[in-house]
Amino acid sequence: MNLKFRHKKITGILTILPENEVKFEDEMDQYNFSPAKSLKLKMAMGYNTHRVAKEGVCASDLCIRGLDYLFEKKLLDKNEIDALILVTQSPDYFMPPTSNVIQGHFGLKQDMICMDINQGCAGFIIGLFQAFMLLEQDEINKVVLLNADVLSPKVSKRDRNSNPLIGDAASVTIVEKSDDSGIIFGNLKMDGTGFDALIIPAGGSRLPASADTAQLHEDAAGNFRSLNHLVMKGDEVFNFVQREVPPMIEQLLSTAGCSREDVDFYMFHQPNKFMLNKLADKLGVPREKMPSNIVENFGNASGVSIPTAIGFNLGTRLTRESLLICLAGFGVGLTWASILIRLENLDFNEIINY
Amino acid sequence: MEQLKEKLSVIFELDKIDTTLKFVDLEEWDSLSSLSILAMLDSDYNMAMSNADLLTYSTIQDFCDYVIKNRK
Repeated sequence: MNLKFRHKKITGILTILPENEVKFEDEMDQYNFSPAKSLKLKMAMGYNTHRVAKEGVCASDLCIRGLDYLFEKKLLDKNEIDALILVTQSPDYFMPPTSNVIQGHFGLKQDMICMDINQGCAGFIIGLFQAFMLLEQDEINKVVLLNADVLSPKVSKRDRNSNPLIGDAASVTIVEKSDDSGIIFGNLKMDGTGFDALIIPAGGSRLPASADTAQLHEDAAGNFRSLNHLVMKGDEVFNFVQREVPPMIEQLLSTAGCSREDVDFYMFHQPNKFMLNKLADKLGVPREKMPSNIVENFGNASGVSIPTAIGFNLGTRLTRESLLICLAGFGVGLTWASILIRLENLDFNEIINY
Repeated sequence: MEQLKEKLSVIFELDKIDTTLKFVDLEEWDSLSSLSILAMLDSDYNMAMSNADLLTYSTIQDFCDYVIKNRK
């Protein structure tokens, strides 16, 4: 569906990355591939180093580090937060919502809404849509959108499909009302028949975690995982992205009356370099306009990959310049969603370590 | 047809691919070469297949025939 929003703006983006950096080479002896093949995999997919949280670090810890930083630097006033949205697939608890835990940690005002959303690779877009909708309310003037995932413990170290690319990270995005009359265009589609293309089979109500679900099994390609681990049908996800994302972007741009060339940057979710390059080619967009360097530097942290790409590739440029950006996220759900938005005069756009 | 065989040879790093074999019979067959084929089909032949589809062909020649006949 097409969505439109008026009088809204993003005023700051902060990404928080765990300091701990893991190299591809340090883990490749755990994969069922010869060293030569592993290095070929590294080259083709653009794997190198990824950021992995130390044991015990939760999504909320990364968020709290980010908010602390913004409060200290006086980039955010905690009394002004009218809504706290946390998009995560790795909450601290099944209950309560982790956003409430964060609210309590900081003693934020009670006159606000806390909301957790279970979304993944499209989580930045879905979170922005929710923020824009909340800002329709008279009493909601500033929304803090948190995207955070610590999924590395959910990935098998012996899974070369997912382990080399997984990253942990969080981001804090400030979304506010604006006097600007420019329209933000959005597009969103979902297909729940593909719910098992990316899934953690055990640990929920359908299949509670047990000693049995923790047993490692080898798949046809020689990867070892248990039912407690994240599993991705790589070929299905690849086909889904190549099939659905280009038409979505064409529809978004045509609804906005905008050409491909008008867009300064395509900041897309970062599954791997291979897939992003294929997408850029298929869309007819120069690869320089669609950065694909997040997985090789930091790993793919699900919904945090787009803010990381914006922070890493544009940095303080966005505090001075005005750029038309096309955002797109696609993955778990299946979900695919995009936004065309002008980013300008941000109060901050940076990356810090945890 | 020759072009498609050439592309497969490049993916498997072979001088000339033996199309009487199945994909799984090739020493270089793995999830990465499989994904490379899916990507090549998508970009050059506008076709989508799954890993499992690739394994249903009894020879690589059968696969090539199917692709050439059904390309869009």
